[in-house]
Amino acid sequence: MPSRFRRVLSSSVGTKLLMGLTGAALFVYMLLHLAGNALILAGEDVFNEYSHMLISNPLILPIELGLLAVFLLHVYKAVTMWMSNRAARPVGYLKKELAGHTSRKSLSSSTMIGSGLFILGFVVIHVKQFKFGTFYQVTDSTVRDLYQTEIEVFQNPFWVTVYVLATLLVGLHLRHGFASAFQSLGLDHPLYTRRLTALGVLFALLIGVGLAVIPVWVYFRY
Amino acid sequence: MQLDSKTPGGPLAEKWDRHRFESKLVNPANRRKYTIIIVGTGLAGASAASSLGELGYNVLSFCIQDSPRRAHSIAAQGGINAAKNYQNDGDSIQRLFYDTVKGGDYRSREANVYRLAHLSVNIIDHCVAQGVPFAREYGGLLDNRSFGGAQVSRTFYARGQTGQQLLLGAYQSMMRQVEKGSVKSFSNREMLDVVLIDGQARGIVVRNLNTGAIERYAGHAVLLCTGGYGTAYYLSTNAVNSNVTAAWRAHRRGAFFANPCYTQIHPTCIPVSGTEQSKLTLMSESLRNDGRVWVPRTSGDKRPPKQIPEAERDYYLERRYPSFGNLVPRDVASRNAKAVCDEGRGVGDSGLAVYLDFQDAIERLGDEVIRGRYGNLFDMYSKITDDDPYSVPMRIYPAIHYTMGGLWVDYNLMSTIPGLHVLGEANFADHGANRLGASALMQGLADGYFVIPYTLAHYLGSATLPAVTTDHDAFKASEAAVQERIDLLLSVKGSKTPRQLHRELGGLLWDEVGMARNEAGLRKTLERIPQLRDEFWQNVSVPGPKNNLNKNLEYAGRVADYLEFAEVLTLDALHRQESCGGHFREESQTPDGEALRDDANYSYVAAWEFQEVGKAPHLHKEPLTFEYVKPSQRSYK
Amino acid sequence: MRIFLKVWRQATPRDRGGFVDYTAENISPDMSFLEMLDVVNESLIVKGQDPIAFDSDCREGICGTCGFLVGGVPHGPDPGTSVCQLHMRRFKDDDRLVLEPWRARAFPVLKDLVVDRSAFDRIIQAGGYTSVNVGGAQDANLILVAKTASDKAMDSAACIGCGACVAACKNASAALFTSAKVAHLAFLPQGQPERATRVVAMVERHDAEGFGSCSNEGECEAVCPKEIPITNIAHMNREYLRAMLVTRD
Repeated sequence: MPSRFRRVLSSSVGTKLLMGLTGAALFVYMLLHLAGNALILAGEDVFNEYSHMLISNPLILPIELGLLAVFLLHVYKAVTMWMSNRAARPVGYLKKELAGHTSRKSLSSSTMIGSGLFILGFVVIHVKQFKFGTFYQVTDSTVRDLYQTEIEVFQNPFWVTVYVLATLLVGLHLRHGFASAFQSLGLDHPLYTRRLTALGVLFALLIGVGLAVIPVWVYFRY
Repeated sequence: MQLDSKTPGGPLAEKWDRHRFESKLVNPANRRKYTIIIVGTGLAGASAASSLGELGYNVLSFCIQDSPRRAHSIAAQGGINAAKNYQNDGDSIQRLFYDTVKGGDYRSREANVYRLAHLSVNIIDHCVAQGVPFAREYGGLLDNRSFGGAQVSRTFYARGQTGQQLLLGAYQSMMRQVEKGSVKSFSNREMLDVVLIDGQARGIVVRNLNTGAIERYAGHAVLLCTGGYGTAYYLSTNAVNSNVTAAWRAHRRGAFFANPCYTQIHPTCIPVSGTEQSKLTLMSESLRNDGRVWVPRTSGDKRPPKQIPEAERDYYLERRYPSFGNLVPRDVASRNAKAVCDEGRGVGDSGLAVYLDFQDAIERLGDEVIRGRYGNLFDMYSKITDDDPYSVPMRIYPAIHYTMGGLWVDYNLMSTIPGLHVLGEANFADHGANRLGASALMQGLADGYFVIPYTLAHYLGSATLPAVTTDHDAFKASEAAVQERIDLLLSVKGSKTPRQLHRELGGLLWDEVGMARNEAGLRKTLERIPQLRDEFWQNVSVPGPKNNLNKNLEYAGRVADYLEFAEVLTLDALHRQESCGGHFREESQTPDGEALRDDANYSYVAAWEFQEVGKAPHLHKEPLTFEYVKPSQRSYK
Repeated sequence: MRIFLKVWRQATPRDRGGFVDYTAENISPDMSFLEMLDVVNESLIVKGQDPIAFDSDCREGICGTCGFLVGGVPHGPDPGTSVCQLHMRRFKDDDRLVLEPWRARAFPVLKDLVVDRSAFDRIIQAGGYTSVNVGGAQDANLILVAKTASDKAMDSAACIGCGACVAACKNASAALFTSAKVAHLAFLPQGQPERATRVVAMVERHDAEGFGSCSNEGECEAVCPKEIPITNIAHMNREYLRAMLVTRD
């Protein structure tokens, strides 16, 4: 018999627990990411100072690697789970309608794998464009001028479109993912479950729209 | 053949203990060498499978459903009786015993009924330990409610789904044994014959309903737990697949059929509407705790119920039976409903219904309390009828519900075929001529959990059981006969469906062998049944293959058996020229229309021995003697 | 009433199967859906044709035998209703309905609308019980159960095992079925001794039978004839987490 640890991680319930935990971690990251990037609205200096503080921190590498691991685990589990879920119904229905009534099925919940895979592709491009993108330096300093990189990318309406689409998809993903994580982790109570679902919608809007604002703002400003 | 009930000697209260002590035991190490075949997985079958599996026997369990959990015990709604006296209202084993003997109209065996009352307390203990979610009081103790025929609250319940919860408890225990390997579960199997070797029941032949294959199974004893025969009437509260086939095939092999005319007609069912109706739905008797039964005072009064003023309503049960009121036993309530409808005072389009009104209870207790007690029943009612019972009185009418008659068994639950034991509703034993509410669940579980483990061990310990395999000639012959009958059904290729013929038989039985019976009607029925049977074998249509899932073929086989069984049912009703319990002969009633027993001539169990189809069975009588309860005119006034 | 039906017909488990059109004529609105199918079948039998195979037994919504998709929804459009309790008055004259069997790897089609649900039995077999033998029980009232706990246990225990949850779930997950039994026994003191081993064993059997995992959409809850909520699934997840990461047995 496989070890208890492997059994936890590979069972249907354990998989969902992992999805919920990694999803929650990524959600927290997204909140921080939004807050940090929103500093762009405060101007060039503040933004560059913030980015410099991040990359000059010696802990950033382990944190990034940890984040990458969480992200990859989330993706890996999502894909394998999706495949085994597909295998659970080899023959589909001719006609399948939404059950309605109390069902929470939504555009968001039905497209998790699609929105997720799109976001995966986007993240690769995003990291390449910024973290490993053109390196400008703030005049008379060693500080990286990330602000400049950002202006460069978002001069292009194509990238603005891609970014807006991707961030809205992140919002869509969170619309189901936020409340779903609590359910998967067994955190359910008449007191808060419905409030959490509503909160999930708010967060989804905040993160999705909030992140979309940045490229649009940059595009129109410069 | 002399019927020997094997009732142990000694004082009533000590008989079971004495019997257990005197019974032989099977050594734990030897139990797995015994294969026990159990047919049916209702309360009796599933509880027997689990208790025998726990003891270490090698159990083979069969059911016609696709899962043992779906046996029709699941539909029992109201509750299960136990003489716990948790309510401090005067209950005791003695009182449950007395109520049951009296409720059965003095046509049951005292010793069996006492054992049942005695074991009732153990059942509740065991079911609670299993995790059956019985209703509770706020302090955490078990709640009780009252049921017809009793003046104490001794009924334990799990909302309106007591049968479901008890069955799931038994099913889960059985599945635990399946996991352990001591029980093997065979779903989708219909028993079509009992195999006798040297006069002993040593196996069964079944049809695999998914593949059509005929399969043989050998064992040391066979337990039939296959329920009653209410579906012979076509419309009943039974599941559409419930049937008499297993019991009937056993009867044809030599098991006597006892008291088939004792059929229970339940007073509170949703009335028939339309001709294509496939079954009737019961509304639990517990509704009579809070609902009041009434009809208009004058016949032909077709006003809507709300427009009939209080003074023009006849609460006929409360009027005629002041001490029991709406909670009179089922047979009494049903007969009275029929009587008022016969007077033209029935309600609804058909005039075959009476009101069950919750207005007073709702005013007294509020909507919420009523919803808590009966919510699921009210929902079911409104789904079926499109009426809202919170605002409009329910319309109810009696329907065939349960059958007290069944295969004759002795005190050990063994039929007249050695080794063939019959448990639960399939046997005739404990309810006499009428069963009280919430007693069927009690009997099924008592038989399976607490009686059969002892009496079966005694049989296995005392009988000589040479080794047999399914290659024995008796198995071959049985399989050939089963196969031949199936081929015959398929070969008719007529133009009537089994359902049409079944509906015709059921209508005939309901009219003539239903709530009220008389000699002329019964004689007419005895002439009509063979004609219907002939028509069946000349004109039935059974399309589709035999070596595949074929529900119509299964059904046709069952209808063929009803057409044989109906004769003994009618004959028994004809021969019993008295009224008792569910059997009401119009010739035998008191001046005010109550059932009139004839103890001098009919205080016996009528056990019928099969001869051949179309030939009258032999009657054997087991006299009933009453040492502890003196038979009297049953009165609920 | 007249209803046009498009019904899945498949003679054997290995047969490819396909849809066949039928017309149900002279249907009364008071008929149940299955009685309407009985009428269709009667007309087929008279013509010597193999009737449509569908499962049903109690026809009062408690045995869990019946079930197929009516117009794309398991048990049809009414909430909290099994198909045997669905009545024709719910539909309009000349409605067109597609009837399909439950679809799941763990529920192979046997014939037409009949599927093999024995996987559910095996999930229960893995641990859906309390291990108490007949004979050893204490007096029933020695086990105190708070009314709220008992009521909640009953809510979960009301599951009829019909399989609609699996049919409705896009992942063909039996999480609702499994969790209802886990929750029923976890609510009660009688379920405590095996609380941890039960949930682990049942989840593992659930997976081994080929059911998918839960996506928390709640389609199962919406089609459940007993309206068993997915809070049971959260409860099961909680129990599982506790069993694997807290309990040491």
